[in-house]
Amino acid sequence: MTLLSVKNLRVSFDTEAGLVEAVRGVSFSLGRERLGIVGESGSGKTMTGRSVLRLIRPPGRIEAEEMRFDGIDLMRASEKEMRALRGTRIAMVMQDPKYSLNPVMRVGAQLMEGLRQRDGMGKAEARAKAIAALAAVQIRDPERVMEAYPHELSGGMGQRVMIAMMLIPDPDLLIADEPTSALDVTVQAEVLSILDGLVRDRGMGLIFISHDLRLVARFCDRVLVMFKGRVVEELAAKDLMQAKHPYTQGLLNCLPRIGGPREPLPGLDRTAEWAN
Amino acid sequence: MALIEIDDLSVTFHAKGREVRAVQNVSLSVGAQESYGLVGESGSGKSTILRAICGLAPVSGGTIRIGGQPIDSPRGAAFSRQVQMVFQDPYASLHPRHTIDRTLSEPLAIHGIADADARVKRALSDVGLPPGFRFRFPHQLSGGQRQRVAIARALMLEPSILLLDEPTSALDASVQAETLNLLNRLRAERGLTFLMVSHDLAVIDHMCDRVLVMQHGRAVEELERAALATAEMKTDYARSLFAASADRMLEG
Repeated sequence: MTLLSVKNLRVSFDTEAGLVEAVRGVSFSLGRERLGIVGESGSGKTMTGRSVLRLIRPPGRIEAEEMRFDGIDLMRASEKEMRALRGTRIAMVMQDPKYSLNPVMRVGAQLMEGLRQRDGMGKAEARAKAIAALAAVQIRDPERVMEAYPHELSGGMGQRVMIAMMLIPDPDLLIADEPTSALDVTVQAEVLSILDGLVRDRGMGLIFISHDLRLVARFCDRVLVMFKGRVVEELAAKDLMQAKHPYTQGLLNCLPRIGGPREPLPGLDRTAEWAN
Repeated sequence: MALIEIDDLSVTFHAKGREVRAVQNVSLSVGAQESYGLVGESGSGKSTILRAICGLAPVSGGTIRIGGQPIDSPRGAAFSRQVQMVFQDPYASLHPRHTIDRTLSEPLAIHGIADADARVKRALSDVGLPPGFRFRFPHQLSGGQRQRVAIARALMLEPSILLLDEPTSALDASVQAETLNLLNRLRAERGLTFLMVSHDLAVIDHMCDRVLVMQHGRAVEELERAALATAEMKTDYARSLFAASADRMLEG
């Protein structure tokens, strides 16, 4: 069953220097599966993710032939309808916990805010649910973390707090925008396996945005490779090593490997005819 | 003789009556023109060692010698000519209101080196930036271009040792490849000695001849490059770091 379908999505910005097209005709559909979007900075991957939530402010413009989530036309939904979707049915995890959590509010208060405001829950009930959510992302000492300020947590803990926050309303679709880029490799593996377990157990759809092709391949079912606002290749994650497109191959080969040759790493050719 | 000798180094921070022992009794030595890696997760003390060499962290025990000589405290002009550092985040390490020209010529002015104009031009071309970038500001450059400027700045005084603190972890995979290639080329051309910190074992493996694995401020294990490639580590921690490394993921 299709949860989300996007046809010919375009995002453009009117700037002093003229029209900038950040996304140029992206189409994809998503069931209850894990879709990876990979590309370099500026390839439009984050803009694609934000468009689904209509989180692009003027002068940015979103256009699409179709953008439908579970029968709801996202292009025509009113601001009020969008607000009802955001967080509750479609959630987004941002890149860096340093900038995405409120620095002057205790973690517990941030977690409970939504439950109290949106769901009209009592204080004790909201607290119990927030603690359960922290436990679900394998925070060992949830009571202490509830009382902590974001700066008192490590990067990995902060990222888990953000994931817990997004998962409290049990969304159908989770958009994770570089959720592990700010983390160490060992912590990264841990956070990914938590995400993986949650997606599988709850049957969520997941859009996983990253610049790390190998990470995405290991973690997702399907991968879209984006360049300059277009999807250059779409393939099943297990076939990644057989990628046809020169850009995908370039992204794969430019990473150093343990025990690999010492010669210069191959760069990316951005001048070929497909790049226009 | 080793160029950098660190013997039994400890760094202790005091904050709010609490003692944080960031580095505990670490020893290492790096030969001239060698490339040596420090690897570990955040908080393992790997960056603190680089900062201690530069005099940016409080050394509480042990000695640091460069070229056989104990280094002066505070670090003097001679030290800056010999040792320079490249920081992790090129968005934070360049002065936002100074042009590239001013950033690059400042060390020359401080050390009274003439011929600034030609040197700045040559520095830009050495790191593969067009001469037109000279009068731009950092915000007009991409992350990879800024890191090139940071490398050019570190090389202005023609040091023999570069301390590299996660020089590519803020960059995209493809830009990382270009930056690593640049560093390797400069090392070969100028006979530089690298002491490089990274949390990515694959990057360290590509760049370094030997690597020291660190955890909780202590040295865990020192590995030759060949031993790393064949996974001949002796400690469990080094092995888990190896297993978590991103480039193992496709085979796994």
